[in-house]
Amino acid sequence: MNRSRERTSLWAKAWYKLRRDRIGMISLGVVLLYFVVALGVWLGLWGQGWSQVEGPMWAPPGPKYWLGTNIIGQDIFERALYSTRTAFDVGLVVAVLSTLLGGLMGGLAGYFSNRWADELILWLMGVLDAIPFYLFVAALAYALQGNPYAMHIAMIATFWTTTARLVRGEVIKLKQFEFVEAARAIGLPRRLILFRHILPNTFHILLVQATIVFVGAIKSEVILSFLGLGVTDGVSWGLMIAESTQEVQAGHFSNFVTASSFLFVLVMAFNLFADALQDALDPRKVSA
Amino acid sequence: MSFHPFRLSLILWMALLAACSAGPGTDGLKIYRHSLGGRPTSLDPVQSATVYANHLVVNLYDTLYAYKYLARPYQLKPNLAVAMPEVSDDGLVYTIHIKKGVHFIDDPCFPEGKGREVTAADFVYSMKRHFDPKSRSQGSWLWAGKIEGMEAWKKAGADYDRPVAGLKALDRYTIQIRLTRPFPQLVHTLAQGFSAIVPREAVERYGREFSIHPVGSGPFRLQTFDSVRAVLVRNPKYRKEPIDLAYEGYDPERQARYGIARIQGKVPPLVDRLEIHFIKEGLSRWNSFTKGDEIQFASIPRELLDEVLLKKQPEVVLRARYAKKYFYTSGLENGFVHTDFNMKDPKIGYNPDPRRQERNHALRCAIRYAFDWAERNRTFYNDMGRVFPGIIPPVVPEFDPDASKESIRHDPEKARKLLEEAGWNAANLPVLTYGGVASVTSRQMFEQFRGWLTRIGYPKEKIQFDSYASFGDYNKAVKQAKIMIVGMGWGLDYPDAENTLQLFYGPNGSPGSNASNFDDPEYNRLYEKSSVMQPSPERTAIYRRMNRIVEDACVTISGLSRRYILLWHKNVVSYPDSSIVGGFHLKYVDVLPEGQEKK
Repeated sequence: MNRSRERTSLWAKAWYKLRRDRIGMISLGVVLLYFVVALGVWLGLWGQGWSQVEGPMWAPPGPKYWLGTNIIGQDIFERALYSTRTAFDVGLVVAVLSTLLGGLMGGLAGYFSNRWADELILWLMGVLDAIPFYLFVAALAYALQGNPYAMHIAMIATFWTTTARLVRGEVIKLKQFEFVEAARAIGLPRRLILFRHILPNTFHILLVQATIVFVGAIKSEVILSFLGLGVTDGVSWGLMIAESTQEVQAGHFSNFVTASSFLFVLVMAFNLFADALQDALDPRKVSA
Repeated sequence: MSFHPFRLSLILWMALLAACSAGPGTDGLKIYRHSLGGRPTSLDPVQSATVYANHLVVNLYDTLYAYKYLARPYQLKPNLAVAMPEVSDDGLVYTIHIKKGVHFIDDPCFPEGKGREVTAADFVYSMKRHFDPKSRSQGSWLWAGKIEGMEAWKKAGADYDRPVAGLKALDRYTIQIRLTRPFPQLVHTLAQGFSAIVPREAVERYGREFSIHPVGSGPFRLQTFDSVRAVLVRNPKYRKEPIDLAYEGYDPERQARYGIARIQGKVPPLVDRLEIHFIKEGLSRWNSFTKGDEIQFASIPRELLDEVLLKKQPEVVLRARYAKKYFYTSGLENGFVHTDFNMKDPKIGYNPDPRRQERNHALRCAIRYAFDWAERNRTFYNDMGRVFPGIIPPVVPEFDPDASKESIRHDPEKARKLLEEAGWNAANLPVLTYGGVASVTSRQMFEQFRGWLTRIGYPKEKIQFDSYASFGDYNKAVKQAKIMIVGMGWGLDYPDAENTLQLFYGPNGSPGSNASNFDDPEYNRLYEKSSVMQPSPERTAIYRRMNRIVEDACVTISGLSRRYILLWHKNVVSYPDSSIVGGFHLKYVDVLPEGQEKK
């Protein structure tokens, strides 16, 4: 009995569909591999020598330094591994917090649509969307000088709006449904209706949005670090690419190729996975 | 009216060519296109604090003195002054006669637009401006407290019609400066853009716009000025003084190869139009230079050194394909880079607890022993800089080539021993913050520094980067003594070690030029004694003693003088200098007609 109920649920159908998507599953495998790398750095298993300056300047790839060294003799492979952790740090923090914020604000705006709360949230989203992202981050970095989370705050402050718009639309649709009417009819308070009955039904949107934001955050971190506005302590692919701008001119490509490759593979895999997930969670496709 | 497509494209093409040319009315003119790595923010002499501004200011205005074009070591010479100053026996009174018949350029600020004669009163007015708060002078520190009555004049409201006891125009062509104490470097300061002579009429007429509307009596006048370039044209009224190469310090052995002999007897300025392009990016500057049809002067970007140079040491040699096309010169900069400890920070500097102060001394010395100058030179200065002990750089005559090298010795073992003896260990070592601008190079310098310290047992997480969005922010933090470990560079204002020794003089502490806030009574006493002395073996001995005091106190990790390489096209007759002679050399630059260049 339980088994048959599981089979017919939206999540079971989505998982079934996702498993049959070969590209989606390969992408998921790649993302998980990166996650394991990041986890290993977190646990201190590898990537801990990223800051040592023991090697010679610009050593070529070899048995000791697999991908060579940079101008100050740091091991490029170690730095690339450590940067995976930086990417997941930024990606996870920004994805989780901006999705939560977007879900909350979108839910409120949708539930109280056409009322002052909705107007206020829409106005706020409009204002934030109107500010060019990199200018906004530069201003925040300046305002929060020395704060290592300036970049995270800037990303969260701008990325939540897209999620909020999507959730708002979904909530407006959901609140016309009979189960909401029923909840109202039995006298449930508004917050319970919103948080217990409506928002859980937007979870598929939040999940897909979180994966998209995750990729966006990683890409933005790289660009911001390249511009000197991102990571203040540690190393990231963006910093490695920024370093490489001088090295490439002198004929040393390892830093650039390594950081770009690590970034490209992760972003590509995450994008493909997000697409597969979106397909799997699309109610029209799932129920088809 | 209709246009045939071919005709239309021909017209458009011609319009495009016209837009790309040097500008209307430049046919037949002798044009020299120089490049600078930055743009001046103001052309007002009182605000000409940067090398870039100084380059333009000394060509638009007159200074009393200048540096001889070719003499090395540098030598002063009269410029607007008739001769070197007459100095009283006590070294307090300077009398300077200026040339007669020198005129400002024509400008609407003068009656009927005709530039009037430059007089001694103009110099007095120009110097007073430095002490007028409204002028926002960046050069007043050069003379602060040194000219009799100037501070009182400033306090009384900076009224230009009120006299200053120590700064007078004795007559139309005679200046008298009375000092509060001897200041042997005074004449050097009168060869800087800061002391350039401006007419009061122009300052009053243009107000704040004076910064982009120069009215001077220099060899050139400004035609246009924007964020990309400045165009200067010959000042037809500039005094006719033929070039005497022997007087300018011409050394055929060093300089004949550049064809300098050709300019003997000519009257500067030698070009009709001087274009100074501001190109921040070294590679862009290089690309413009090597294309051959744009700028004619550049330096080699760091990334391309291996491609362009055949040899870096002991002397610079260009690869044949470049040597065929360009002239070049190289030398040590007139300055140095160093890393200071902020002595105001009790965690590393002065501390009320004498025992802790001693331990801080050991900590600073240990960090200095951990610092690897050879590696820094190799990594960031292409192994071309010169590392020297202390704060007297090799370009000044007081440099001691036989000084002990102990303060620049890399000895991690000794560093570890010092830490151990002073009772430092991983648990009680203080958190160090290393200041820098948020740039790749600053970050890499920090990471290299951190790497060296981890080798002597300093915990990595206790060495942090204090990053600032711009150099302005960084400099502001340095001036507020907020940074613990301060990376600095200093360019000499004049070729005298006094200019670097003042960097560690106690009263010059933050917000002054003493970024380390070092304040040693013996050092201060010696500085005060030597600063009023004329150059002599006795003064040199005092300078060297002060150098040793700074080294013994482990207050700075110093130093390295970088090597510059300057290149110019072979049809240009020049002997460029980027610092002390600076912009003064531009009036001697000549451009040869096609086919006449020296091979």
